[in-house]
Order: sequence, then structure tokens, then C-alpha cells
Amino acid sequence: MQLASRVYDADSISAVQELYHSSGWTDGLPIVPPTADAVEACLDWAMMPPDQLIGIEPVRGLAITAEKLAINAVMAGCLPMHFPVVVTAWMAMMQDEFLMHGATASTGGCAVLVVLNGPIRLELGASGTFNALGNSDRATAVIGRAVRLCLINLMDVRPGVIDRSTLGHPGKFSYCLAEDEEDSSWLPLAEQRGVPKGASSVTVMAAGAPRQLMNEWTTRPEEILETFAAEMRANLRHYSIHPGNYALIIPKQLREHLQAAGWTKTDIAQFIHERARIHRREWAEVGKGAVVRDRGDSVYPAMESPDQLLVVAAGGPAGGFGAVIPPWLGNKSHAVTLPLGVCIDCEPPKK
Amino acid sequence: MTFRVLDPTTEKAPPAGRLAPRLDTLEGKTIGFISNGKEGTKGFFKHLDQMLREEYGVARVVSRTKSNYSAPADKHIVDEIKGWDAVVSGLGD
Repeated sequence: MQLASRVYDADSISAVQELYHSSGWTDGLPIVPPTADAVEACLDWAMMPPDQLIGIEPVRGLAITAEKLAINAVMAGCLPMHFPVVVTAWMAMMQDEFLMHGATASTGGCAVLVVLNGPIRLELGASGTFNALGNSDRATAVIGRAVRLCLINLMDVRPGVIDRSTLGHPGKFSYCLAEDEEDSSWLPLAEQRGVPKGASSVTVMAAGAPRQLMNEWTTRPEEILETFAAEMRANLRHYSIHPGNYALIIPKQLREHLQAAGWTKTDIAQFIHERARIHRREWAEVGKGAVVRDRGDSVYPAMESPDQLLVVAAGGPAGGFGAVIPPWLGNKSHAVTLPLGVCIDCEPPKK
Repeated sequence: MTFRVLDPTTEKAPPAGRLAPRLDTLEGKTIGFISNGKEGTKGFFKHLDQMLREEYGVARVVSRTKSNYSAPADKHIVDEIKGWDAVVSGLGD
């Protein structure tokens, strides 16, 4: 296998770290040295030649190749089996509707939320239970980190360079979770979005930080979901009025009440669409009176339609918590779901 | 122990982005403004328009605003650029 990347020699593991940190190639954490063997193992696993074109970044016309994604994936700690997920996430991010340049350059400071569905979760040991939005497991940690390192090194999305975030958020280190499909009667997110049952897939969303909520004092679906809707109204008031993809993360305790009452994800989305909306005049209550102007009676829903809501079953078994993950800037960027590539009768590339 | 490690960047410069030849003078020229449409652009471009005409003798200023401030300029705006001598593309953050 002929790799095209420039090679550097470093005398020790410390020298490798200093080379990568001082060149601006990291997220500030130590990296795994991307040796040719490790990179080739990723490419072999995905059956991709190094120069395979994964896509052209639409705004600056940058060619993204399998080799460069693999180098960054190794740096992030990925094993070869994690690599196809990183590739698919990048293919999804390069779809026009994701608006990758805008989403990753914006002062708004969002991160790329990656949601895994299907059997790949089990193969990789990606967990959708305890600490689902935090450091839940190795697979989601390294996949999310690989997405960020690729942005840094392949698109110059470095703080103060292309990344103009005012604040950013901790999800910019890694923001990946798996849906807990085994402990839920709901359709998985990907299936809800048109991926055939049983296929593994990746959903990407330009996403703000999670807004955690709690309601342990009811079993009624309407009351539980009112708390989620209220958190979305707060986002509309305090952050952005633009409608778009919101994600709801619903852990087991609250999920069981909703499922026992027979509520599907579609039912949830319809309820939320009705309740998560504000009048423009409410901005005056939170210090934004200057932009109400003569449109105080206008109503702003959090989503243009119920199908813009991404409902994800994930979280530890105990605790009446949930989370709302708001969009970067409404419909400027749309969530994209792609199945992992399936190749019938594929031959590995010639060495 | 020596580690042989690989460059994680694209290494090559992006294909687009070469600077256009600089103008010798602004006098009598047509200057296009491409605004991202944010609030802060209004005062900036208004002032720049006046300055270009009064102090630099610019003949014509054409103002255009992108439909999406986070995306590249719309095609119809890009198509107009060839009729201008220079472009000022402004952010309003």
C-alpha cells in the first residue's frame, strides 16, 4: 500500500507528542502516533485504497481522502473497526444540507453530534446507557474525537483560524452517542429517518451543548414532555429563534413512562411541535426587547414540522433526567443520516 | 525507539483562493459589496459607500446581500462579480 503523506521521524513518544502539539495538529490531548502500519490497518479494514476520494469539501474545494481520515482516526485512538464509522460521518457532513463550513466556522460554536444506530454499536461496544452524553465507552469517545481532529487538520478548523467560535462547548472534544435500541420499544432514530431495519448508520447534527432537565414527579407523558418543551422554549428565548433539528435524549426512567402509555416517537414529535413555540414578544422578558419590533404577536415554533425532531433513547437506567440538544442555527444546517457502506463481493485493494 | 509518523493535514494548498490583481486606482471604478446580512454590516457598508465615492472617486457602488449569512454567496451574486472592478465582502459579527 502506497501512502502519500509526508513522513516525520521522532526519537521518542514524547517527541511525537511535541511534534504534533507544536504543529497545531491536536485538540490539546495526547495523540496515538499515526504510523504507516496503523493507518494501513484502518484502510485495510475498510477495504479502501489510500487515495480513495471520500468527498470534496464544498466551500473551499478540499479533497478529503481515506488516507487523511485514517491518519486522524488513528491519532484519536480509533482501532481499524472504528474507522468505517468515521468515514461515514464525514460523508454525511459533506452533504450540502449539512453546511459543514458554516457550522464549523461559526461564532455560534456548535459541535458535530454523531448518533450511532444498528448492529455496529454492538460490534464496537458503543454504549447508550450510563453516562451516554459523557465518557460512556471507548468507541464513542474515539469516533467523536476523530471527527474533530479531521476538522482541525483537514479543514483548518482550529480556534481563531477557520473555527471562529466565541465559546464552543465540551462536545467539541468528542460528541458521539449510541442509541439504546435493546432497551426500547421505539423505532431507532435511523429507521425513523428512512434507513432500513437492521442496517448500521450514522446521523450527524450541528449541535449546541446538551441542556439537561429533570422531572421525576409524574408518570403522565404530557407532563414529562412539557418539561422537554419548556427547555426548548427557553432555548428559543435565550439563544436562537430559528426553527430546525432539535434532538431529545430520553433515558430509561422517563422512557418507560412514555412507552407504557403507548407513546411512539411520532406521538412525541407531534406533541413537542405543538408545545415548543413562543411569541416573539417573549424576547422582551429576557432582555431582547430591541428585536421584538412590531412583530410581537408572531409565533415561532422550534421546528418547522414534527419530523425535524430527533428522538434518541439513551441514558442510564435510573434518574428522571433528559436532555434537549439544540441546533446550531436552525435550518441553516440539516441533520443527515447515512447507512454504513455495504459492499457485495468487494475485493480488498491490491497492496 | 524511532517513530515514523505521518502528516495529518491536507498538505496541499486549496485549489481556489488566489488573489486577483490589485487595482492602481479606485477612481471611476465599480465596486461591489457582498454583505452577509448581519446587523453590523449596515452601518459599515453605508459609511464605506460614502467614503469610496467622496474620497476615492469611485463611480458606482453595487450592494448585494447573501440570502444565508453562513453559506457562500448565492450564484446570482457571484455571476455579477465579473461586471465589477473590485469586491468588498463584509461580515457583521
